[in-house]
Amino acid sequence: MTTTLEAPTAPMQGDWPTLRIAHLYPSLLNVAGDGGNLMAIQQRCAWRGIPTLAVSIDAGDRPDFSTFDIVLFHGGQDVEMEIVAADLGLKAPSLREAADQGVVIFAVCAGLQLLGARYVPSDGPPMEGAAVLDLETRGGPQRFMQHAAVDVTIDGRRGTIVGFENHSGQTELGPDAQPLGMMIAGAGNNGRDGTEGAVRGHVYATYLHGPVLPKNPWLADQLIRIALERRLGRPVELEPLDDSVEQHAHDVALQKALRNRGQRTALEPARLVRDKAPQTVG
Amino acid sequence: MAGKGAAVASRVLGRGGGTSLPGMVARRVDPTILASLVAAQNIPVVAVTGSNGKTTTARFTAALIRAAGYPVDHNRAGANLVQGVTSLAVGAADLRGRTPRRVMVIEIDEGALPLLVEELKPSAVLVTDLFRDQLDRYGEIYAVADAFEAVARGLGSDCALCVNADDPIVAGLGAGHAGRRVTFGLDLDHDTDRITRAADTIRCPRCRADLVYDHVYLSHMGAWHCPSCGLARPAVDVAVTALEVDGLDATRFHVRTPVGDLDISVPQSGVHIAYDAAAAIAISIGLGVPLEHAAAALATVGPAFGRLERIVAGDRRIVLGFAKNPTSFNTTLRALATEGLPRQLLVAASNTLVDGEDFAWLWDVDFEAAAPNVERVTVSGLRADELANRLKYAGVDPARMTVVRDRPAALDAALAGIEPGGTLTVLAGYTPTIELREEMRKRGWVGPYWEV
Repeated sequence: MTTTLEAPTAPMQGDWPTLRIAHLYPSLLNVAGDGGNLMAIQQRCAWRGIPTLAVSIDAGDRPDFSTFDIVLFHGGQDVEMEIVAADLGLKAPSLREAADQGVVIFAVCAGLQLLGARYVPSDGPPMEGAAVLDLETRGGPQRFMQHAAVDVTIDGRRGTIVGFENHSGQTELGPDAQPLGMMIAGAGNNGRDGTEGAVRGHVYATYLHGPVLPKNPWLADQLIRIALERRLGRPVELEPLDDSVEQHAHDVALQKALRNRGQRTALEPARLVRDKAPQTVG
Repeated sequence: MAGKGAAVASRVLGRGGGTSLPGMVARRVDPTILASLVAAQNIPVVAVTGSNGKTTTARFTAALIRAAGYPVDHNRAGANLVQGVTSLAVGAADLRGRTPRRVMVIEIDEGALPLLVEELKPSAVLVTDLFRDQLDRYGEIYAVADAFEAVARGLGSDCALCVNADDPIVAGLGAGHAGRRVTFGLDLDHDTDRITRAADTIRCPRCRADLVYDHVYLSHMGAWHCPSCGLARPAVDVAVTALEVDGLDATRFHVRTPVGDLDISVPQSGVHIAYDAAAAIAISIGLGVPLEHAAAALATVGPAFGRLERIVAGDRRIVLGFAKNPTSFNTTLRALATEGLPRQLLVAASNTLVDGEDFAWLWDVDFEAAAPNVERVTVSGLRADELANRLKYAGVDPARMTVVRDRPAALDAALAGIEPGGTLTVLAGYTPTIELREEMRKRGWVGPYWEV
């Protein structure tokens, strides 16, 4: 376990505890800008004077996840997923324990798939997941690759999250998992039932890949607020920030998603992609 | 048929040497036109592909082959998809579809490689490197590598294969190739880069263990070996053994080759330039092209359009830096840093068919390194929104940012804030680079991009 990122320096504002963030497999799971989620949490904390400490958790490490406030579990390509899946068994009991204790876990794409019971690729052996979420994923015949928008309610606050989905895995939720939200535009979990992502307690998972938090600042703030409330054992109100840049990025992405609504893919994939659709990206 | 396609297509030529239009028209008239104009007439072709460095490597290669006395055709405008390459062949042929016997040096988009190798039957194929680039267009990096390997396996023994030994996933391509195989790379006793979050293949291509680097030269390229299975960087046939980057205007290096050593000075900047020149020398050796005039030839090759191109804009100056993925962004920023990181910036990104739709990769660019120096940045392009958000989280104060989506208006806005004698640094994706450069051409600051 190695400490890689110090919190950006910020004026101390009294009594905020240091938010401890576990960044899972940072070198394996960073298929496209996934580190943006960590940047969003750390910067939005720094701008409010909330100290953070990010800790890289690599293959072979066996941390006690319940000592963290937020766990980030990002996307990867098939090869990286296999390496992660082979290591995940070591970490799964502690991850489940942390989830039961209310630690905030945020997962995107491959992270979503590997928080489930298992992932069965189209070709290749099944991978065991961490069984934190009651869901299962199978490799599908088509790749969902497009701008997407989701109607999400978290802890009483309703909003839209926007981003780009790029996956061929099709996920079915079991009875103990709720969808994170319902699709406004895009394919979501399986392209059929309109569900997107999964949630259980403070575990949130989405197929919107890569840097999803920077242009959905309200979601980033919900994660920060919930993590602080759990740590402090009392309600927390976060100081509002000027989010005009973020909101503009959100609104442009939402327009793109809405424009693509009804189409299976937002753009024609390159020939290479059609010939040999890889299993999972993001 | 080839003649008819060529004749029709020639009528649409002349609108601009960089367009794909003639090739598109010609292929409609005759889908086999490219094979008829090239492979069927035994025209020697050099195919240059990979994620980064295609254009510059192809320019160096064309210069070396020309210097050895062979006439060359070259898609120097960078139209590297099937239509653009067909345009080049159509432009070279006469109206009866006869192609003059010149060497075609062609850069080829990674996705177009399998089809174009089939139609062109090249005499040499070179793979520069393989970086994550536009997941939404190409898919995973491993799928691209698999496609490259399939191409390499299909090459005849009369085709030379040149690969980058420093790039772990590229180094082993076509290992069983029956023809000549030439590797190139750097062989320095010090690091010229460090592993960043833009690095892709830092795991062993055979056993997937984490690779160990004795030296890191550029992103995931370096002197690598696998501590687990023992796979290691192969012997480097064409090796840069000393390297000095001198600001934005010169890179000097010593190259060890099987046919003798060379001292090279190129009027371009960066470690990547040494890779591109070594690649071009590897192709020459693969083809058996003599290198007597190599140093003199390379010394004349300035930057391709937008590759840190210096432009005089009235009483102000512009450095135009084309950047399309995290590695090319970071490489460009590093080259700029040799003269001090830019303070006045215009940064542009647009979603188009060639630039891709998903700009998640912007979060892998090391803007953090550049942010503290930024005094003013104009953010432009169809994805100015995402770019502005990225810059904000990199630490650029939004008060220093102006969003002007329209490219010509952004150029005006950016230049308006610059004192006479000052420099504006432009970092832009492919389409915004073309658009901004076209605007500069209209203002008389540069010639057409296909003539650079």
